[in-house]
Amino acid sequence: MGRHIEQKIYHVEILPPKQDTEKLDAGLELFASKFARVMEGGYCACITDNAMGNLAFQGTEMIKELGLEPRENQVMIHLNTFHTKTDLDQILSDCRELGIRDLLVISGDGSDRLPRLAPKDIDATGVEAVTSVELLRYIRREHPGWFKLGVAFNPYEPEEHEFEKMHRKLAAGATFVITQPVIGRHPVVDKLLATFPDLPVTVEAWMSKKLELLSEAVGYEIPQGTPYDPFANLAELHANYPDCGVYLALLGFKTQFDLIKGTWK
Amino acid sequence: MKIVVCIKQVPGTTDAKIDPETKRIVREGISAVTNPFDVYAVEEAVRIKEKLGGEVVALSMGPPRADMVLREALSVGADSGILLSDRAFGGSDTWATGYALANAIKKIGGVDLVLCGKQAVDGDTAQVGPGIAAQLDWPQATYAMAITDITDSGFVVKRMHEDGWDLCDIDFPAVVTVVKDINQPRVPTLRGRLAAQKVQIPVWTAADIGAEPGKIGLDGSPTRVVKTAPPPMRHKDSLKVEGTAAECAAVIVRQLRLKSLA
Repeated sequence: MGRHIEQKIYHVEILPPKQDTEKLDAGLELFASKFARVMEGGYCACITDNAMGNLAFQGTEMIKELGLEPRENQVMIHLNTFHTKTDLDQILSDCRELGIRDLLVISGDGSDRLPRLAPKDIDATGVEAVTSVELLRYIRREHPGWFKLGVAFNPYEPEEHEFEKMHRKLAAGATFVITQPVIGRHPVVDKLLATFPDLPVTVEAWMSKKLELLSEAVGYEIPQGTPYDPFANLAELHANYPDCGVYLALLGFKTQFDLIKGTWK
Repeated sequence: MKIVVCIKQVPGTTDAKIDPETKRIVREGISAVTNPFDVYAVEEAVRIKEKLGGEVVALSMGPPRADMVLREALSVGADSGILLSDRAFGGSDTWATGYALANAIKKIGGVDLVLCGKQAVDGDTAQVGPGIAAQLDWPQATYAMAITDITDSGFVVKRMHEDGWDLCDIDFPAVVTVVKDINQPRVPTLRGRLAAQKVQIPVWTAADIGAEPGKIGLDGSPTRVVKTAPPPMRHKDSLKVEGTAAECAAVIVRQLRLKSLA
């Protein structure tokens, strides 16, 4: 992860098609196209895991079934706690087979439809539920030295609680952090950087013009139609956080992808 | 063992509108999903097949686009799918629907077990499963939390009640409706979905299943929906609470107490 920051490699988020899509072939083709463009562009493809609790296909199965070619250090797989142990182990095994080492380990947004890891599944003791902390420990135990494990940081959650969680995540083996979307600057992100000066931190840039979609993440209603320039925000993030990586969420591949080249100087 | 799983395509949103003329849900233009309870029925059928051998046939009655739910069943292990689709079925209530499905089950032949979800989340009647059993004159068990001790002649069902559960011995052939407690459905794989896309799904009409015209559609429906109305809008209040975790908790508890919720 430090390498991505040193070499100014953007993280570009790609969402796999949802399981209930009626246009599966088109969705697969679009995913493959986005993936190829990210690889060619030299960026890191960050593939989500049932984002927002919506049942979608897995990143590793997409890569394998579509015959895509992940380039070294250019793929990051999101991995949450809403899997059976069998599926979890398969994902990890597939990552190794594909040479993918970067994982963003998160608790995740579940739903009724998604199975959830139980503590006994991964020999987690003293807890009633599996969070990213227990999942980190499991991955480190089962695959020592292979994966580079990152975690999420949410500056919109109660600060005390979020920092306490961060300490636990780091103790469990996390070596890098990706934040929730930041608009301009956020004092809690500043505090994160000050508290952990040696920790590689990547700030998330919201690339959709629809700022109101962030309402749930930030915890208050952002009025629909609130003016927002994603590229102006991106420039501001680079200026405010020059030592951080940048994760591009909801990047528009039709109108925005070609414009990001050269924006990280 | 031959198992038929009855599955329904339902609106994938809570924003469905009611046609004021027909009093039925307007399904056009709305995303569609497999009825959630039926997903558990499919999983249970596949698990039984994996354990004991046999065949799982997914059966659905609906418009042509309902073949999507059959393909989803195929992607997680059903062996075949059949779609009942005919304008003549339009407007069927639960009794007429049960009749059509029962006729299809008879046509499939050699069926030992019919599994259904407890109820469809659009109609919420929970009547079709029992209706199929009545039409077939087969024993039935509803609200099944577990199906165990399967032999050549029958099985044991653990049925959920408000106050607990009971165990019933049931002989084959039988109809069982299941609740979500019965299992945790597997997640379809992309490979499974792609394979399911290529499967030919036969479409059976009313004539194909020998359905009598007077027993299907509106004519075959002893019940009529005479009025539907959306529930009253819930008034949404929001309150932003700031401070330390302890301060926020105190404010929230006070608010809950003011609303007699704590």
